[in-house]
Amino acid sequence: MCSRFRFLLVAVLIVILFSGLVVLFLPRPHPPTASLENAKLAFDQAAKADALRYAEQPYRMAEELMQKGWREMARQNGRLALFRNYEIAESLLTLAIRTAKEAAFQAQERNRYLDSLARSESADLQSELWLCRKILDGSLVNFKAERHWSLADLSLKMSEVLIDRGEYEEACQTIAKGKESLRRLIDLLAADTDDEAQKIGIWRLWVQETLAQSRRKGTYAVIVDKSVHKTYLVRAGKLVQTYNCDLGYNSARHKILAGDGATPEGKYRVTAVKSRGSKYYKALLLNYPNELDKERFEENKNKGIISSHAQIGGFIEIHGEGGKNKDWTEGCVALTNSEMDHIMQYVTVGTPVTIVRRSDLWP
Amino acid sequence: MFKRVAVVWAVFALLTMVSCGKAPEEEMQKANTAIEVTRTAEAEDYAPDAYRMAMDTLNAAMAAKEEADGKFSLFRSYGKSKELLVRAEALANQAATEAQAEKERVKGEVTNLFTQAKAVLDSADMAVKKAPRGKGTKADIELIKNDLAATTSSYEEAKSDFDAGKYAVAKTKLEVVIQKARSVSEEIAKAAAKKTRR
Repeated sequence: MCSRFRFLLVAVLIVILFSGLVVLFLPRPHPPTASLENAKLAFDQAAKADALRYAEQPYRMAEELMQKGWREMARQNGRLALFRNYEIAESLLTLAIRTAKEAAFQAQERNRYLDSLARSESADLQSELWLCRKILDGSLVNFKAERHWSLADLSLKMSEVLIDRGEYEEACQTIAKGKESLRRLIDLLAADTDDEAQKIGIWRLWVQETLAQSRRKGTYAVIVDKSVHKTYLVRAGKLVQTYNCDLGYNSARHKILAGDGATPEGKYRVTAVKSRGSKYYKALLLNYPNELDKERFEENKNKGIISSHAQIGGFIEIHGEGGKNKDWTEGCVALTNSEMDHIMQYVTVGTPVTIVRRSDLWP
Repeated sequence: MFKRVAVVWAVFALLTMVSCGKAPEEEMQKANTAIEVTRTAEAEDYAPDAYRMAMDTLNAAMAAKEEADGKFSLFRSYGKSKELLVRAEALANQAATEAQAEKERVKGEVTNLFTQAKAVLDSADMAVKKAPRGKGTKADIELIKNDLAATTSSYEEAKSDFDAGKYAVAKTKLEVVIQKARSVSEEIAKAAAKKTRR
Protein backbone atom coordinates (compact mmCIF):
# COMPACT_ATOMS: atom_id res chain seq x y z
CA MET A 1 0.00 0.00 0.00
CA CYS A 2 2.78 2.34 1.03
CA SER A 3 4.94 1.56 -2.00
CA ARG A 4 1.96 2.02 -4.23
CA PHE A 5 1.27 5.41 -2.68
CA ARG A 6 4.92 6.38 -3.13
CA PHE A 7 4.77 5.32 -6.73
CA LEU A 8 1.65 7.36 -7.25
CA LEU A 9 3.21 10.37 -5.59
CA VAL A 10 6.36 10.13 -7.69
CA ALA A 11 4.25 9.74 -10.81
CA VAL A 12 2.20 12.80 -9.95
CA LEU A 13 5.36 14.77 -9.23
CA ILE A 14 6.89 13.69 -12.54
CA VAL A 15 3.72 14.68 -14.38
CA ILE A 16 3.65 18.05 -12.60
CA LEU A 17 7.37 18.57 -13.32
CA PHE A 18 6.94 17.60 -16.94
CA SER A 19 3.89 19.82 -17.32
CA GLY A 20 5.82 22.65 -15.72
CA LEU A 21 8.68 22.14 -18.17
CA VAL A 22 6.26 22.03 -21.08
CA VAL A 23 4.55 25.22 -19.90
CA LEU A 24 7.96 26.83 -19.34
CA PHE A 25 9.27 26.04 -22.78
CA LEU A 26 6.10 26.47 -24.75
CA PRO A 27 6.09 29.65 -26.87
CA ARG A 28 4.05 32.18 -24.88
CA PRO A 29 1.90 34.81 -26.51
CA HIS A 30 3.09 38.33 -25.77
CA PRO A 31 0.67 40.84 -24.29
CA PRO A 32 -0.09 43.68 -26.67
CA THR A 33 1.59 46.32 -24.48
CA ALA A 34 2.87 48.19 -27.52
CA SER A 35 -0.70 48.44 -28.81
CA LEU A 36 -1.84 49.66 -25.42
CA GLU A 37 0.85 52.34 -25.40
CA ASN A 38 -0.07 53.32 -28.96
CA ALA A 39 -3.74 53.50 -28.00
CA LYS A 40 -2.88 55.78 -25.07
CA LEU A 41 -0.78 57.94 -27.35
CA ALA A 42 -3.50 58.16 -30.03
CA PHE A 43 -6.05 59.01 -27.36
CA ASP A 44 -3.83 61.78 -25.97
CA GLN A 45 -3.40 63.16 -29.47
CA ALA A 46 -7.16 63.13 -29.97
CA ALA A 47 -7.58 65.02 -26.69
CA LYS A 48 -5.01 67.58 -27.82
CA ALA A 49 -6.87 67.97 -31.12
CA ASP A 50 -9.91 69.06 -29.08
CA ALA A 51 -11.79 65.90 -30.01
CA LEU A 52 -13.82 66.15 -26.82
CA ARG A 53 -15.33 69.31 -28.24
CA TYR A 54 -15.42 68.64 -31.94
CA ALA A 55 -15.68 64.83 -32.19
CA GLU A 56 -17.05 63.70 -28.85
CA GLN A 57 -18.67 60.49 -30.05
CA PRO A 58 -15.58 58.82 -31.56
CA TYR A 59 -13.49 60.24 -28.72
CA ARG A 60 -15.64 58.56 -26.08
CA MET A 61 -15.75 55.38 -28.13
CA ALA A 62 -11.95 55.32 -28.40
CA GLU A 63 -11.71 55.77 -24.64
CA GLU A 64 -14.09 52.89 -24.01
CA LEU A 65 -12.32 50.60 -26.47
CA MET A 66 -8.97 51.39 -24.91
CA GLN A 67 -10.30 50.59 -21.45
CA LYS A 68 -11.84 47.33 -22.65
CA GLY A 69 -8.66 46.32 -24.48
CA TRP A 70 -6.54 47.14 -21.46
CA ARG A 71 -8.76 45.08 -19.15
CA GLU A 72 -8.92 42.18 -21.56
CA MET A 73 -5.13 42.19 -21.78
CA ALA A 74 -4.91 42.23 -17.98
CA ARG A 75 -7.44 39.41 -17.75
CA GLN A 76 -5.32 37.30 -20.08
CA ASN A 77 -2.20 38.17 -18.09
CA GLY A 78 -3.89 36.69 -15.05
CA ARG A 79 -4.43 33.34 -16.75
CA LEU A 80 -1.92 30.51 -16.98
CA ALA A 81 0.49 31.10 -19.82
CA LEU A 82 -0.84 28.04 -21.56
CA PHE A 83 -4.33 29.48 -21.76
CA ARG A 84 -3.49 33.09 -22.59
CA ASN A 85 -4.94 34.56 -25.74
CA TYR A 86 -4.49 38.23 -26.50
CA GLU A 87 -6.34 38.29 -29.78
CA ILE A 88 -9.42 40.06 -28.42
CA ALA A 89 -7.29 42.53 -26.47
CA GLU A 90 -5.20 43.21 -29.57
CA SER A 91 -8.30 43.74 -31.70
CA LEU A 92 -9.86 46.06 -29.13
CA LEU A 93 -6.69 48.10 -28.80
CA THR A 94 -6.20 48.29 -32.57
CA LEU A 95 -9.77 49.49 -32.89
CA ALA A 96 -9.17 51.97 -30.09
CA ILE A 97 -6.13 53.36 -31.96
CA ARG A 98 -8.08 53.63 -35.17
CA THR A 99 -11.04 55.30 -33.45
CA ALA A 100 -8.83 57.72 -31.55
CA LYS A 101 -7.08 58.65 -34.80
CA GLU A 102 -10.44 59.09 -36.46
CA ALA A 103 -11.58 61.30 -33.57
CA ALA A 104 -8.42 63.40 -33.88
CA PHE A 105 -8.88 63.63 -37.65
CA GLN A 106 -12.54 64.59 -37.33
CA ALA A 107 -11.71 67.20 -34.69
CA GLN A 108 -8.94 68.65 -36.85
CA GLU A 109 -11.18 68.69 -39.89
CA ARG A 110 -14.02 70.31 -37.96
CA ASN A 111 -11.57 72.80 -36.50
CA ARG A 112 -10.16 73.59 -39.92
CA TYR A 113 -13.62 73.85 -41.41
CA LEU A 114 -14.88 76.17 -38.66
CA ASP A 115 -11.71 78.23 -38.88
CA SER A 116 -12.07 78.76 -42.61
CA LEU A 117 -15.83 79.24 -42.30
CA ALA A 118 -15.43 81.86 -39.56
CA ARG A 119 -12.69 83.64 -41.52
CA SER A 120 -14.66 83.69 -44.75
CA GLU A 121 -17.82 84.80 -42.94
CA SER A 122 -15.80 87.50 -41.22
CA ALA A 123 -14.37 88.68 -44.55
CA ASP A 124 -17.89 88.62 -45.95
CA LEU A 125 -19.20 90.75 -43.09
CA GLN A 126 -16.27 93.12 -43.52
CA SER A 127 -17.02 93.66 -47.19
CA GLU A 128 -20.75 94.05 -46.48
CA LEU A 129 -19.91 96.60 -43.80
CA TRP A 130 -17.68 98.47 -46.21
CA LEU A 131 -20.41 98.48 -48.82
CA CYS A 132 -23.01 99.70 -46.34
CA ARG A 133 -20.59 102.37 -45.14
CA LYS A 134 -20.25 103.56 -48.71
CA ILE A 135 -24.03 103.65 -49.11
CA LEU A 136 -24.45 105.48 -45.80
CA ASP A 137 -21.70 107.96 -46.60
CA GLY A 138 -23.17 108.59 -50.01
CA SER A 139 -26.65 109.23 -48.68
CA LEU A 140 -28.30 111.42 -46.13
CA VAL A 141 -27.61 110.64 -42.50
CA ASN A 142 -29.99 108.03 -41.11
CA PHE A 143 -29.39 107.57 -37.42
CA LYS A 144 -31.24 104.31 -37.06
CA ALA A 145 -29.24 102.87 -39.93
CA GLU A 146 -26.04 104.16 -38.32
CA ARG A 147 -26.97 102.33 -35.12
CA HIS A 148 -27.27 99.06 -37.01
CA TRP A 149 -23.96 99.74 -38.70
CA SER A 150 -22.31 100.29 -35.31
CA LEU A 151 -23.71 96.99 -34.05
CA ALA A 152 -22.44 95.15 -37.09
CA ASP A 153 -19.04 96.81 -36.81
CA LEU A 154 -18.73 95.75 -33.18
CA SER A 155 -19.78 92.22 -34.10
CA LEU A 156 -16.99 92.12 -36.67
CA LYS A 157 -14.39 93.29 -34.15
CA MET A 158 -15.62 90.75 -31.63
CA SER A 159 -15.58 87.91 -34.14
CA GLU A 160 -12.00 88.71 -35.11
CA VAL A 161 -10.87 88.35 -31.49
CA LEU A 162 -12.92 85.15 -31.11
CA ILE A 163 -11.31 83.69 -34.25
CA ASP A 164 -7.85 84.53 -32.91
CA ARG A 165 -8.73 82.62 -29.75
CA GLY A 166 -10.03 79.59 -31.62
CA GLU A 167 -13.65 80.15 -30.59
CA TYR A 168 -14.88 79.57 -34.14
CA GLU A 169 -18.46 78.58 -33.39
CA GLU A 170 -18.96 81.64 -31.23
CA ALA A 171 -17.28 83.79 -33.88
CA CYS A 172 -19.73 82.48 -36.49
CA GLN A 173 -22.67 83.26 -34.20
CA THR A 174 -21.36 86.78 -33.61
CA ILE A 175 -20.89 87.29 -37.35
CA ALA A 176 -24.46 86.09 -37.92
CA LYS A 177 -25.64 88.77 -35.48
CA GLY A 178 -23.59 91.36 -37.35
CA LYS A 179 -25.12 90.29 -40.64
CA GLU A 180 -28.57 90.49 -39.10
CA SER A 181 -27.83 94.10 -38.11
CA LEU A 182 -26.78 94.85 -41.68
CA ARG A 183 -29.95 93.24 -42.99
CA ARG A 184 -31.95 95.58 -40.77
CA LEU A 185 -29.88 98.48 -42.03
CA ILE A 186 -30.62 97.51 -45.62
CA ASP A 187 -34.32 97.19 -44.73
CA LEU A 188 -34.26 100.70 -43.33
CA LEU A 189 -32.56 102.06 -46.42
CA ALA A 190 -35.07 100.21 -48.58
CA ALA A 191 -37.90 101.73 -46.54
CA ASP A 192 -36.31 105.15 -47.11
CA THR A 193 -36.19 104.46 -50.84
CA ASP A 194 -39.86 103.42 -50.79
CA ASP A 195 -40.71 106.56 -48.85
CA GLU A 196 -38.81 108.64 -51.39
CA ALA A 197 -40.55 106.90 -54.27
CA GLN A 198 -43.90 107.81 -52.71
CA LYS A 199 -42.95 111.42 -52.04
CA ILE A 200 -40.96 112.21 -55.16
CA GLY A 201 -44.16 113.35 -56.89
CA ILE A 202 -44.90 115.90 -54.16
CA TRP A 203 -41.30 117.16 -54.18
CA ARG A 204 -41.43 117.48 -57.96
CA LEU A 205 -44.63 119.47 -57.63
CA TRP A 206 -43.09 121.80 -55.00
CA VAL A 207 -40.06 122.45 -57.21
CA GLN A 208 -42.30 123.00 -60.27
CA GLU A 209 -44.48 125.46 -58.37
CA THR A 210 -41.47 127.34 -56.99
CA LEU A 211 -39.87 127.60 -60.44
CA ALA A 212 -43.19 128.62 -62.02
CA GLN A 213 -43.76 131.33 -59.41
CA SER A 214 -40.21 132.61 -59.89
CA ARG A 215 -40.68 132.57 -63.66
CA ARG A 216 -44.06 134.28 -63.49
CA LYS A 217 -42.97 137.06 -61.15
CA GLY A 218 -39.36 137.25 -62.35
CA THR A 219 -38.21 136.97 -58.74
CA TYR A 220 -35.58 135.01 -56.89
CA ALA A 221 -36.24 131.66 -55.25
CA VAL A 222 -34.11 129.14 -53.38
CA ILE A 223 -34.35 125.37 -53.83
CA VAL A 224 -32.48 122.96 -51.55
CA ASP A 225 -31.93 119.38 -52.74
CA LYS A 226 -30.92 117.43 -49.63
CA SER A 227 -29.82 114.29 -51.45
CA VAL A 228 -27.04 116.07 -53.33
CA HIS A 229 -26.37 118.67 -50.63
CA LYS A 230 -26.99 121.49 -53.08
CA THR A 231 -28.73 124.82 -52.70
CA TYR A 232 -29.86 126.47 -55.93
CA LEU A 233 -30.54 130.17 -56.35
CA VAL A 234 -32.93 130.79 -59.26
CA ARG A 235 -34.22 133.96 -60.82
CA ALA A 236 -37.21 134.02 -63.15
CA GLY A 237 -37.12 130.26 -63.14
CA LYS A 238 -33.50 130.11 -64.27
CA LEU A 239 -30.49 128.93 -62.31
CA VAL A 240 -28.28 131.74 -61.08
CA GLN A 241 -25.97 130.00 -58.64
CA THR A 242 -25.38 126.59 -57.06
CA TYR A 243 -23.98 126.25 -53.54
CA ASN A 244 -22.85 123.16 -51.62
CA CYS A 245 -24.54 122.92 -48.26
CA ASP A 246 -24.40 121.06 -44.95
CA LEU A 247 -27.64 119.87 -43.40
CA GLY A 248 -29.07 118.63 -40.10
CA TYR A 249 -27.21 115.71 -38.55
CA ASN A 250 -30.23 113.44 -39.15
CA SER A 251 -30.65 114.59 -42.71
CA ALA A 252 -32.38 111.52 -44.16
CA ARG A 253 -35.54 112.42 -42.31
CA HIS A 254 -38.11 115.15 -42.61
CA LYS A 255 -38.19 117.27 -39.48
CA ILE A 256 -41.10 116.25 -37.29
CA LEU A 257 -40.15 117.62 -33.86
CA ALA A 258 -37.64 119.76 -32.02
CA GLY A 259 -34.23 118.21 -31.48
CA ASP A 260 -34.54 115.44 -34.10
CA GLY A 261 -31.63 116.88 -36.07
CA ALA A 262 -33.57 116.68 -39.32
CA THR A 263 -33.81 119.39 -41.95
CA PRO A 264 -37.47 120.10 -42.77
CA GLU A 265 -38.89 119.39 -46.21
CA GLY A 266 -41.52 121.76 -47.57
CA LYS A 267 -42.31 125.06 -49.16
CA TYR A 268 -41.12 127.92 -46.96
CA ARG A 269 -40.23 131.58 -47.29
CA VAL A 270 -37.67 133.86 -45.74
CA THR A 271 -39.11 135.69 -42.72
CA ALA A 272 -36.01 137.58 -41.62
CA VAL A 273 -32.65 138.48 -43.10
CA LYS A 274 -29.92 138.60 -40.47
CA SER A 275 -26.91 140.41 -41.85
CA ARG A 276 -25.43 140.60 -38.41
CA GLY A 277 -26.17 139.17 -34.98
CA SER A 278 -26.34 135.58 -36.19
CA LYS A 279 -24.38 132.96 -34.28
CA TYR A 280 -23.41 131.52 -37.65
CA TYR A 281 -22.11 134.52 -39.54
CA LYS A 282 -25.27 135.60 -41.43
CA ALA A 283 -28.67 133.97 -41.64
CA LEU A 284 -31.97 133.79 -43.49
CA LEU A 285 -34.73 132.73 -41.09
CA LEU A 286 -37.44 130.48 -42.58
CA ASN A 287 -41.08 130.16 -41.60
CA TYR A 288 -40.72 126.61 -40.29
CA PRO A 289 -43.12 125.25 -39.11
CA ASN A 290 -45.53 126.06 -41.90
CA GLU A 291 -49.19 125.04 -41.83
CA LEU A 292 -48.51 121.61 -43.30
CA ASP A 293 -45.76 120.95 -40.71
CA LYS A 294 -48.12 121.94 -37.89
CA GLU A 295 -50.86 119.67 -39.24
CA ARG A 296 -48.46 116.75 -39.56
CA PHE A 297 -47.08 117.41 -36.08
CA GLU A 298 -50.54 117.28 -34.51
CA GLU A 299 -51.39 114.17 -36.49
CA ASN A 300 -48.21 112.44 -35.30
CA LYS A 301 -49.01 113.42 -31.74
CA ASN A 302 -52.54 112.08 -32.01
CA LYS A 303 -51.29 108.83 -33.52
CA GLY A 304 -48.76 108.52 -30.70
CA ILE A 305 -45.85 108.54 -33.15
CA ILE A 306 -44.30 111.30 -31.10
CA SER A 307 -44.62 112.14 -27.43
CA SER A 308 -47.48 114.36 -26.35
CA HIS A 309 -44.87 116.60 -24.70
CA ALA A 310 -42.85 116.99 -27.90
CA GLN A 311 -42.24 120.43 -29.35
CA ILE A 312 -42.35 121.15 -33.06
CA GLY A 313 -39.16 123.24 -33.03
CA GLY A 314 -38.30 126.31 -35.05
CA PHE A 315 -35.57 128.79 -35.97
CA ILE A 316 -34.69 126.93 -39.11
CA GLU A 317 -32.30 129.07 -41.11
CA ILE A 318 -30.00 129.14 -44.05
CA HIS A 319 -26.85 130.31 -42.32
CA GLY A 320 -23.06 130.52 -42.60
CA GLU A 321 -20.18 128.52 -41.07
CA GLY A 322 -20.87 125.71 -43.53
CA GLY A 323 -18.44 123.91 -45.82
CA LYS A 324 -17.62 121.24 -43.22
CA ASN A 325 -18.50 118.56 -45.75
CA LYS A 326 -20.73 116.76 -43.25
CA ASP A 327 -24.21 117.14 -41.82
CA TRP A 328 -23.83 118.81 -38.48
CA THR A 329 -26.58 121.39 -37.96
CA GLU A 330 -29.72 120.81 -35.94
CA GLY A 331 -31.86 121.13 -39.04
CA CYS A 332 -30.61 124.32 -40.70
CA VAL A 333 -28.97 124.60 -44.09
CA ALA A 334 -25.38 125.80 -43.76
CA LEU A 335 -23.41 127.51 -46.56
CA THR A 336 -19.87 128.81 -46.42
CA ASN A 337 -19.54 132.40 -45.26
CA SER A 338 -18.58 133.64 -48.74
CA GLU A 339 -21.61 131.87 -50.23
CA MET A 340 -23.78 133.49 -47.54
CA ASP A 341 -22.38 136.87 -48.61
CA HIS A 342 -23.35 136.01 -52.19
CA ILE A 343 -26.90 134.73 -51.55
CA MET A 344 -27.69 137.61 -49.16
CA GLN A 345 -27.34 140.03 -52.10
CA TYR A 346 -30.40 138.52 -53.80
CA VAL A 347 -32.63 137.08 -51.14
CA THR A 348 -35.05 139.23 -49.24
CA VAL A 349 -37.89 138.71 -46.79
CA GLY A 350 -40.59 136.73 -48.59
CA THR A 351 -38.24 134.91 -50.99
CA PRO A 352 -39.57 131.33 -51.41
CA VAL A 353 -37.30 128.55 -50.13
CA THR A 354 -38.28 125.05 -51.12
CA ILE A 355 -36.50 122.13 -49.45
CA VAL A 356 -36.86 118.65 -50.90
CA ARG A 357 -35.11 115.41 -50.06
CA ARG A 358 -34.58 114.59 -53.70
CA SER A 359 -35.34 116.37 -56.92
CA ASP A 360 -35.39 114.87 -60.39
CA LEU A 361 -36.17 118.23 -61.94
CA TRP A 362 -34.00 121.04 -63.07
CA PRO A 363 -32.32 123.16 -61.65
CA MET B 1 -2.77 7.16 5.80
CA PHE B 2 -6.29 8.27 4.92
CA LYS B 3 -6.11 10.79 7.77
CA ARG B 4 -2.86 12.20 6.41
CA VAL B 5 -4.33 12.63 2.95
CA ALA B 6 -7.43 14.23 4.42
CA VAL B 7 -5.28 16.67 6.41
CA VAL B 8 -3.32 17.59 3.28
CA TRP B 9 -6.57 18.25 1.40
CA ALA B 10 -8.00 20.23 4.27
CA VAL B 11 -4.88 22.42 4.45
CA PHE B 12 -5.02 22.88 0.67
CA ALA B 13 -8.70 23.86 0.76
CA LEU B 14 -8.08 26.26 3.64
CA LEU B 15 -5.19 27.85 1.77
CA THR B 16 -7.38 28.17 -1.28
CA MET B 17 -10.09 29.89 0.69
CA VAL B 18 -7.69 32.15 2.57
CA SER B 19 -5.80 33.21 -0.52
CA CYS B 20 -9.02 33.91 -2.40
CA GLY B 21 -8.91 37.67 -1.62
CA LYS B 22 -12.07 39.74 -1.70
CA ALA B 23 -12.55 41.88 -4.81
CA PRO B 24 -12.13 45.58 -3.92
CA GLU B 25 -15.77 46.41 -4.62
CA GLU B 26 -15.97 49.24 -2.14
CA GLU B 27 -12.79 50.90 -3.39
CA MET B 28 -14.00 50.47 -6.94
CA GLN B 29 -17.30 52.12 -6.19
CA LYS B 30 -15.60 54.99 -4.38
CA ALA B 31 -13.17 55.54 -7.25
CA ASN B 32 -15.96 55.49 -9.84
CA THR B 33 -18.03 57.93 -7.81
CA ALA B 34 -15.01 60.21 -7.49
CA ILE B 35 -14.53 60.10 -11.28
CA GLU B 36 -18.19 60.98 -11.79
CA VAL B 37 -17.80 63.95 -9.44
CA THR B 38 -14.71 64.97 -11.44
CA ARG B 39 -16.70 64.87 -14.66
CA THR B 40 -19.50 66.92 -13.12
CA ALA B 41 -16.87 69.44 -12.05
CA GLU B 42 -15.90 69.69 -15.76
CA ALA B 43 -12.38 68.59 -14.98
CA GLU B 44 -11.97 67.46 -18.59
CA ASP B 45 -12.07 71.15 -19.52
CA TYR B 46 -10.68 72.88 -16.46
CA ALA B 47 -8.06 70.36 -15.20
CA PRO B 48 -7.44 68.04 -18.16
CA ASP B 49 -4.03 66.77 -17.01
CA ALA B 50 -5.21 65.93 -13.51
CA TYR B 51 -8.30 64.28 -14.96
CA ARG B 52 -6.25 62.16 -17.35
CA MET B 53 -3.94 61.09 -14.56
CA ALA B 54 -6.90 60.01 -12.44
CA MET B 55 -8.44 58.16 -15.39
CA ASP B 56 -5.17 56.41 -16.23
CA THR B 57 -4.81 55.28 -12.64
CA LEU B 58 -8.39 54.04 -12.57
CA ASN B 59 -7.83 52.14 -15.81
CA ALA B 60 -4.64 50.61 -14.43
CA ALA B 61 -6.51 49.64 -11.26
CA MET B 62 -9.29 48.00 -13.24
CA ALA B 63 -6.69 46.18 -15.33
CA ALA B 64 -5.00 44.95 -12.14
CA LYS B 65 -8.36 43.74 -10.88
CA GLU B 66 -9.06 41.93 -14.14
CA GLU B 67 -5.62 40.35 -13.95
CA ALA B 68 -6.30 39.15 -10.42
CA ASP B 69 -9.73 37.92 -11.46
CA GLY B 70 -8.15 35.82 -14.18
CA LYS B 71 -5.72 34.11 -11.79
CA PHE B 72 -6.22 30.78 -10.10
CA SER B 73 -7.86 31.50 -6.76
CA LEU B 74 -4.80 30.21 -4.83
CA PHE B 75 -2.66 32.97 -6.34
CA ARG B 76 -5.32 35.68 -6.55
CA SER B 77 -4.49 38.98 -4.85
CA TYR B 78 -6.24 42.32 -5.20
CA GLY B 79 -3.61 44.26 -3.26
CA LYS B 80 -2.25 46.14 -6.26
CA SER B 81 -5.74 46.84 -7.59
CA LYS B 82 -6.89 48.16 -4.21
CA GLU B 83 -3.86 50.39 -3.91
CA LEU B 84 -4.42 51.78 -7.40
CA LEU B 85 -8.13 52.31 -6.79
CA VAL B 86 -7.42 54.25 -3.62
CA ARG B 87 -4.87 56.31 -5.55
CA ALA B 88 -7.34 56.86 -8.44
CA GLU B 89 -9.94 58.09 -5.97
CA ALA B 90 -7.46 60.50 -4.42
CA LEU B 91 -6.35 61.72 -7.84
CA ALA B 92 -9.96 62.14 -8.97
CA ASN B 93 -10.74 64.16 -5.86
CA GLN B 94 -7.67 66.25 -6.53
CA ALA B 95 -8.71 66.77 -10.16
CA ALA B 96 -12.19 67.83 -9.06
CA THR B 97 -10.71 70.28 -6.59
CA GLU B 98 -8.30 71.61 -9.23
CA ALA B 99 -11.13 71.96 -11.75
CA GLN B 100 -13.32 73.73 -9.24
CA ALA B 101 -10.49 76.08 -8.34
CA GLU B 102 -9.67 76.78 -11.99
CA LYS B 103 -13.34 77.36 -12.75
CA GLU B 104 -13.60 79.75 -9.83
CA ARG B 105 -10.43 81.51 -10.96
CA VAL B 106 -11.78 81.98 -14.50
CA LYS B 107 -15.17 82.99 -13.13
CA GLY B 108 -13.52 85.49 -10.81
CA GLU B 109 -11.44 86.87 -13.65
CA VAL B 110 -14.55 87.32 -15.81
CA THR B 111 -16.48 88.81 -12.89
CA ASN B 112 -13.69 91.36 -12.48
CA LEU B 113 -13.93 92.12 -16.16
CA PHE B 114 -17.68 92.64 -15.75
CA THR B 115 -17.04 95.15 -12.98
CA GLN B 116 -14.41 96.87 -15.10
CA ALA B 117 -16.63 96.91 -18.19
CA LYS B 118 -19.58 98.25 -16.19
CA ALA B 119 -17.42 101.02 -14.78
CA VAL B 120 -16.08 101.97 -18.22
CA LEU B 121 -19.57 101.84 -19.73
CA ASP B 122 -21.04 103.91 -16.90
CA SER B 123 -18.30 106.48 -17.26
CA ALA B 124 -18.81 106.62 -21.04
CA ASP B 125 -22.56 106.95 -20.50
CA MET B 126 -22.02 109.73 -17.99
CA ALA B 127 -19.63 111.45 -20.39
CA VAL B 128 -22.25 111.25 -23.15
CA LYS B 129 -24.85 112.77 -20.85
CA LYS B 130 -22.50 115.55 -19.78
CA ALA B 131 -21.07 116.13 -23.25
CA PRO B 132 -21.52 119.72 -24.40
CA ARG B 133 -24.25 119.78 -27.01
CA GLY B 134 -24.54 122.28 -29.71
CA LYS B 135 -24.27 122.56 -33.40
CA GLY B 136 -21.24 120.70 -34.58
CA THR B 137 -21.01 118.35 -31.62
CA LYS B 138 -24.57 117.08 -31.46
CA ALA B 139 -24.14 115.00 -34.59
CA ASP B 140 -20.92 113.50 -33.18
CA ILE B 141 -22.56 112.83 -29.84
CA GLU B 142 -25.52 111.13 -31.50
CA LEU B 143 -23.18 108.84 -33.43
CA ILE B 144 -21.24 108.12 -30.26
CA LYS B 145 -24.51 107.25 -28.55
CA ASN B 146 -25.07 104.67 -31.28
CA ASP B 147 -21.66 103.15 -30.58
CA LEU B 148 -22.36 103.13 -26.88
CA ALA B 149 -25.72 101.43 -27.41
CA ALA B 150 -24.02 98.75 -29.50
CA THR B 151 -21.35 98.30 -26.83
CA THR B 152 -23.96 98.01 -24.08
CA SER B 153 -25.81 95.37 -26.07
CA SER B 154 -22.56 93.38 -26.39
CA TYR B 155 -22.12 93.69 -22.63
CA GLU B 156 -25.55 92.13 -22.19
CA GLU B 157 -24.60 89.34 -24.59
CA ALA B 158 -21.50 88.65 -22.49
CA LYS B 159 -23.76 88.39 -19.45
CA SER B 160 -25.85 85.72 -21.17
CA ASP B 161 -22.69 83.83 -22.12
CA PHE B 162 -21.47 84.03 -18.53
CA ASP B 163 -24.78 82.72 -17.22
CA ALA B 164 -24.54 79.84 -19.70
CA GLY B 165 -21.10 78.97 -18.31
CA LYS B 166 -19.27 80.13 -21.44
CA TYR B 167 -16.63 82.00 -19.47
CA ALA B 168 -14.00 82.16 -22.19
CA VAL B 169 -16.48 83.65 -24.66
CA ALA B 170 -17.79 86.12 -22.09
CA LYS B 171 -14.21 87.13 -21.32
CA THR B 172 -13.40 87.80 -24.98
CA LYS B 173 -16.56 89.84 -25.46
CA LEU B 174 -15.92 91.86 -22.33
CA GLU B 175 -12.40 92.67 -23.43
CA VAL B 176 -13.78 94.06 -26.69
CA VAL B 177 -16.53 95.90 -24.79
CA ILE B 178 -13.98 97.57 -22.51
CA GLN B 179 -11.80 98.55 -25.46
CA LYS B 180 -14.80 99.95 -27.35
CA ALA B 181 -16.21 101.80 -24.31
CA ARG B 182 -12.80 103.41 -23.77
CA SER B 183 -12.65 104.53 -27.38
CA VAL B 184 -16.18 105.94 -26.99
CA SER B 185 -15.00 107.97 -23.97
CA GLU B 186 -12.06 109.22 -26.01
CA GLU B 187 -14.39 110.24 -28.84
CA ILE B 188 -16.56 112.15 -26.37
CA ALA B 189 -13.51 113.93 -25.02
CA LYS B 190 -12.55 114.84 -28.59
CA ALA B 191 -16.05 116.13 -29.33
CA ALA B 192 -15.99 118.15 -26.11
CA ALA B 193 -12.60 119.59 -27.01
CA LYS B 194 -13.97 120.58 -30.40
CA LYS B 195 -16.83 122.39 -28.71
CA THR B 196 -14.44 124.19 -26.36
CA ARG B 197 -12.31 125.33 -29.28
CA ARG B 198 -15.42 126.78 -30.90
